Amino acid sequence: MREAVLTWCVPLELLCSHPLPVSAFLKTQVKLYTYRACAGKDEMGKMVSVINTVDTSHEDMIHDAQMDYYGTRLATCSSDRSVKIFDVRNGGQILIADLRGHEGPVWQVAWAHPMYGNILASCSYDRKVIIWREENGTWEKSHEHAGHDSSVNSVCWAPHDYGLILACGSSDGAISLLTYTGEGQWEVKKINNAHTIGCNAVSWAPAVVPGSLIDQPSGQKPNYIKKFASGGCDNLIKLWKEEEDGQWKEEQKLEAHSDWVRDVAWAPSIGLPTSTIASCSQDGRVFIWTCDDASGNTWSPKLLHKFNDVVWHVSWSITANILAVSGGDNKVTLWKESVDGQWVCISDVNKGQGSMSASVTEGQQNEQ
Amino acid sequence: MKLKEVDRTAMQAWSPAQNHPIYLATGTSAQQLDATFSTSASLEIFELDLSDPSLDMKSCATFSSSHRYHKLIWGPYKMDSKGDVSGVLIAGGENGNIILYDPSKIIAGDKDVVIAQNDKHTGPVRALDVNIFQTNLVASGANESEIYIWDLNNFATPMTPGAKTQPPEDISCIAWNRQVQHILASASPSGRATVWDLRKNEPIIKVSDHSNRMHCSGLAWHPDVATQMVLASEDDRLPVIQMWDLRFASSPLRVLENHARGILAIAWSMADPELLLSCGKDAKILCSNPNTGEVLYELPTNTQWCFDIQWCPRNPAVLSAASFDGRISVYSIMGGSTDGLRQKQVDKLSSSFGNLDPFGTGQPLPPLQIPQQTAQHSIVLPLKKPPKWIRRPVGASFSFGGKLVTFENVRMPSHQGAEQQQQQHHHVFISQVVTEKEFLSRSDQLQQAVQSQGFINYCQKKIDASQTEFEKNVWSFLKVNFEDDSRGKYLELLGYRKEDLGKKHVKEEKEESEFLPSSGGTFNISVSGDIDGLITQALLMGNFESAVDLCLHDNRMADAIILAIAGGQELLARTQKKYFAKSQSKITRLITAVVMKNWKEIVESCDLKNWREALAAVLTYAQPDEFSALCDLLGTRLENEGDSLLQTQACLCYICAGNVEKLVACWTKAQDGSHPLSLQDLIEKVVVLRKAVQLTQATDTSTVGVLLAAKMSQYANLLAAQGSIAAALAFLPDNTNQPNIMQLRDRLCRAQGEPMAEHESPKIPYEKQQLPKGRPGSVAGHHQMPRVQTQQYYPHGENPPPPGFLMHGNVNPNAANQLPTSPGHMHTQVPPYPQPQPFQPAQPYPFGTGGSAMYRPQQPVAPPTSNAYPNTPYISSASSYSGQSQLYAAQHQASSPTSSPATFPPPPSSGASFQHGGPGAPPSSSAYALPPGTTGTLPAASELPASQRTGPQNGWNDPPALNRVPKKKKMPENFMPPVPITSPIMNPLGDPQSQMLQQQPSVPVPLSSQSSFPQPHLPGGQPFHGIQQPLGQTGMPPSFSKPNIEGAPGAPIGNTFQHVQSLPTEKITKKPIPDEHLILKTTFEDLIQRCLSSATDPQTRRKLDDASKRLEFLYDKLREQTLSPTITSGLHNIARSIETRNYSEGLTMHTHIVSTSNFSETSAFMPVLKVVLTQANKLGV
Repeated sequence: MREAVLTWCVPLELLCSHPLPVSAFLKTQVKLYTYRACAGKDEMGKMVSVINTVDTSHEDMIHDAQMDYYGTRLATCSSDRSVKIFDVRNGGQILIADLRGHEGPVWQVAWAHPMYGNILASCSYDRKVIIWREENGTWEKSHEHAGHDSSVNSVCWAPHDYGLILACGSSDGAISLLTYTGEGQWEVKKINNAHTIGCNAVSWAPAVVPGSLIDQPSGQKPNYIKKFASGGCDNLIKLWKEEEDGQWKEEQKLEAHSDWVRDVAWAPSIGLPTSTIASCSQDGRVFIWTCDDASGNTWSPKLLHKFNDVVWHVSWSITANILAVSGGDNKVTLWKESVDGQWVCISDVNKGQGSMSASVTEGQQNEQ
Repeated sequence: MKLKEVDRTAMQAWSPAQNHPIYLATGTSAQQLDATFSTSASLEIFELDLSDPSLDMKSCATFSSSHRYHKLIWGPYKMDSKGDVSGVLIAGGENGNIILYDPSKIIAGDKDVVIAQNDKHTGPVRALDVNIFQTNLVASGANESEIYIWDLNNFATPMTPGAKTQPPEDISCIAWNRQVQHILASASPSGRATVWDLRKNEPIIKVSDHSNRMHCSGLAWHPDVATQMVLASEDDRLPVIQMWDLRFASSPLRVLENHARGILAIAWSMADPELLLSCGKDAKILCSNPNTGEVLYELPTNTQWCFDIQWCPRNPAVLSAASFDGRISVYSIMGGSTDGLRQKQVDKLSSSFGNLDPFGTGQPLPPLQIPQQTAQHSIVLPLKKPPKWIRRPVGASFSFGGKLVTFENVRMPSHQGAEQQQQQHHHVFISQVVTEKEFLSRSDQLQQAVQSQGFINYCQKKIDASQTEFEKNVWSFLKVNFEDDSRGKYLELLGYRKEDLGKKHVKEEKEESEFLPSSGGTFNISVSGDIDGLITQALLMGNFESAVDLCLHDNRMADAIILAIAGGQELLARTQKKYFAKSQSKITRLITAVVMKNWKEIVESCDLKNWREALAAVLTYAQPDEFSALCDLLGTRLENEGDSLLQTQACLCYICAGNVEKLVACWTKAQDGSHPLSLQDLIEKVVVLRKAVQLTQATDTSTVGVLLAAKMSQYANLLAAQGSIAAALAFLPDNTNQPNIMQLRDRLCRAQGEPMAEHESPKIPYEKQQLPKGRPGSVAGHHQMPRVQTQQYYPHGENPPPPGFLMHGNVNPNAANQLPTSPGHMHTQVPPYPQPQPFQPAQPYPFGTGGSAMYRPQQPVAPPTSNAYPNTPYISSASSYSGQSQLYAAQHQASSPTSSPATFPPPPSSGASFQHGGPGAPPSSSAYALPPGTTGTLPAASELPASQRTGPQNGWNDPPALNRVPKKKKMPENFMPPVPITSPIMNPLGDPQSQMLQQQPSVPVPLSSQSSFPQPHLPGGQPFHGIQQPLGQTGMPPSFSKPNIEGAPGAPIGNTFQHVQSLPTEKITKKPIPDEHLILKTTFEDLIQRCLSSATDPQTRRKLDDASKRLEFLYDKLREQTLSPTITSGLHNIARSIETRNYSEGLTMHTHIVSTSNFSETSAFMPVLKVVLTQANKLGV
């Protein structure tokens, strides 16, 4: 920690001696402060420790990084229009694929369940969704979905139990659902005007048969009800449900945010009857929505925290008991529900060199 | 894309960014008149409601004003982040007046909405701006170079930024710097811009390009860079936007020449400095990057000019434009299709025209032409470059194994070059998140104990660390398991020390001896008429019996017993009985039990408060074979009947019994299992107990019960979530094929970083893996599809091998394939089918240890006959299965032609019809007719046309997966030892199938619960028992479903196949019942015979007849030795109680067995046994 702060001082002085825009100066100071605040937290270093730092060699901002089902491969995507896949086992990093095909920044990547093979979906500002697949050891474009009129901001695979279904949310306000029907064919269903100005996030509900905690007998087809949540620029979270005729209907509107909903994350099922959704917004708020009743219609929000900046992303741990919240202040915090039902921050994630060097770079850029 | 529109000729102001919801204020524009020449003016507030898809803006309030406006702004004065105060609306009027309105009052409909008003300016106030650092500061500009700075806290007296510029000119624009709060800029139509420093109170720089053609219509500071600003020109001869940097103020930094005619207004996005809006007299609204000059977007507009344009401060993608045709439109720059809006808009327009009839023709207007609309609203593309606000700069997502992937990007200042970006390192950090340290360290300790076998130490530590008495007890009990003389130690724990008792006893003896009368001397032999005399006579005559009776009569118990001892065993027994009958002492029942060796009596009927004593008695006396059961029974009683305190004590009983599963159940009930540490508490005990049971009872404890397996996998999941993958693997039960566990095991193995060779192998393209078309969503719960997927899930070598082998790197598939017994096929065949979830199929083929362990026992595989033979039941069972088998067959037919030909050869038509055909479906017999011998060696089955395949091949390539489930279960029963067929119940082997067919219709259905399977006649049906039993089960949903849930079938099969392996035979024969269990058969049959002989009522006789037949299921199971030791020992207990004619005891034991065993294991015979026992009890035979 001490060393980190020391290395800081040098660029700071440099910065100060330059006729810098005030903004840059102010920002770096704030950075320094938050960094110190981070370092001051005692338990942080112990609870979260960096075990692998992957230099992606992306030429522009990274917008998403996702591990595969086993946690052995990392997919990243960037404003440099590429998608990269790394083998990150044993702390290493081996570039497996550098996928080019998008013509704009790539916002999100999503791994399909391995039972369908090695499949990755990516979505981009170029209004396209590309499904990549590994074949004969090489990754190739398998399908391109160009059914949106604006940036596609989010992709999410349905629980594997339903088959290969991808939900895509776009700035054109629509959500499309791609279902693999065999022979390389994808069937497209589209929900138009799901969110005015745009849909920012989609997240599937886990595959749980309503009203039963036990698996169904093998002879019966489990009576899954497919659902997903979406969040958009109309400040709403919407829950969608597939009707018996295969059409998607808006089941619920969750209103609590006062600005764009940036992300929604439906918590994995841990066998409890409660459904949980986390949502975060431009307004800095993170809400935890829960629904206990069997009909699934009564959702109550609980404010996890109000941050001072945009909250971009929420992610549940596999066991659904920890929520990682990443905010516009470049900080990642971990939250856990205490026994009395309150959400408490259990850790700031210390990224070591990351936040520091980045801030310096910003200062240097400001010099221009 | 146009979102909303309002028909107003007005100035507009968005509510500040803090405000929610978003409002748009409009104030009637000065210098414009509408068609009615009305000079009335109003101030209106609209709400932007994006959840309403229509084009209407929701009007919130209208205030009739006496002023018309040149400029309207909405400042966040006194506004907090909660939006309790909605700021202040500042209007510039025609006559040099500045008016402050309270928007909340306007919205509330209040009349008194003006906060303050000042008309210090001369001429119209065209320029207004709020300082973003101090929102109480407002700058205004009017004619004659007048610039005032207003403090809203002290509105009466404005300040000036310095001396007026000369010559006097109109101020058309004014703007506060976005970075430095005391810097202000003003501009005039003359083209000059002046920058003021309020601290110096003077202009610090003047910007002018000397062309004299700049007519400043717009002025804006760079949102991020303090020294940069843009000026827009209204002059058609110079329709440009100049970008100035005050550090180099001699000439513009950049000139944007994108408009063809004069620019009327500009707006620089605060959310993205690369977005500058401009609208001009060329009727265009452009969005350009002022840093590069590139036009990023052109808004689709009508042909009207826009005179005002504003970004929405709160919603960065939204802007509003006021046009000279009297309309304010709200647009999104993110593009998108207006399909959803179109119809609504048409409706709205039509109806509004219909009502208004604006031309006064008196004729309703024709409906609007929708095609026109369609043409207008084509797809609108978004900005060329993604706006900054949708570029996610940071993210963190969890992945398997408690890993957290994070990345961060610095917000890049807009003006940075691409070179700079390349220098940046874009890192992704993978972190390990550990939130449960104590949990992990305890798990570590447990693992160490397991590895080092240091259980005694471990338990001792636990005892020492115990917080509660109960916890201490539990650990003490567990520890005893690893010590010598465990029972003695248990007793000690219960408070009974042998030495203590001995000491007490010695003491008492000493005391007693003092009172002993001296013996010796002479005595009289009395022969008087009193009792003494009579006894004497009896004794003298050697008539012990009478003597004892006399003693008893006289209540001389001791004498009676002593005499009885001399009188022989029989007499003694009778005497004891009589004694107990008479004696009323408290401990009599204990003595009774001790003497009669009837521990069950104690355990069953003792007061639960005395559970310790009962347990002690059991510990002291019970035989090893019944010990467990008795402890178990006591535990069950405590759990079921006791209060909460006693319920927890049941755990101790289960520990003594070594019953892991019940311990888990009991513990789970008592504890809150949600916390990792409480699970840890349980797992510690369970692991230790299992080890203990393995050591002491030397029984096969590898079978993991459902509940335990669930807990263990929950535990493994927790460990994995904390990053302890190896530990998770170590604790995961390794010999179960419960799908979720298999799944987890596979995931763990891979997460550990097993070589990637297998799953990188490109082999099977996933198209083949996919569901065939026409079965959307069919996935869940279908066996067939997942099975197909299995193969693809773990693609191996270059050539797709028979699917069953795909997974086993360690089993040489080819070698195995050539073995007559074709083990490979067996293990492909067996495990997948019962698994209901699509992912499960993967489970049978995990990598590494787990997988191989699982299928090893199955390698010795059934002889071909069995494969061919088991098919038959399906014919008879068609009725019970019909729905399902139809389903699967249909699926199969749908999928087979399209999907994965290599792995899924087209089945023969016979196969298809066979599955759902009713009795007598001809194709089935063709399948059956193949000589069993040919199946002995299997060529690579996948290459054979399915039509040539015999039974075994069905194992993996037969589509109707459901069939496999019962078939698998049937196997054991069908594999009968090659013992010569001697029993009369055997039928000739000629054509079992046809026999079956013949039998079926005539079969009576005696019990409603069994209606779904045919009840065979005893002699002929015998060979089919094995077959029918599972059918019977399938007819009963619980028993059918249960094995699937638990994955239970896997384990028994492993065992049975081992038996079978050594008995290759093509004949259906029965093994003998093992000698030790033969007594069960004889006892039960004897009992039934006794009942039959005394039963008169025909109904009862029928029941008994039926029971006798159905008990064959039991005998079959005994033959196959598929019953768990607990069940067989329980059965022996029942047999013993039958011998003593203690039927009620037998019934109790029966209940115990049923309640403690796997229902599917016992359901075939236990109900019958109960019937027999009940009848026997009733008949008193």
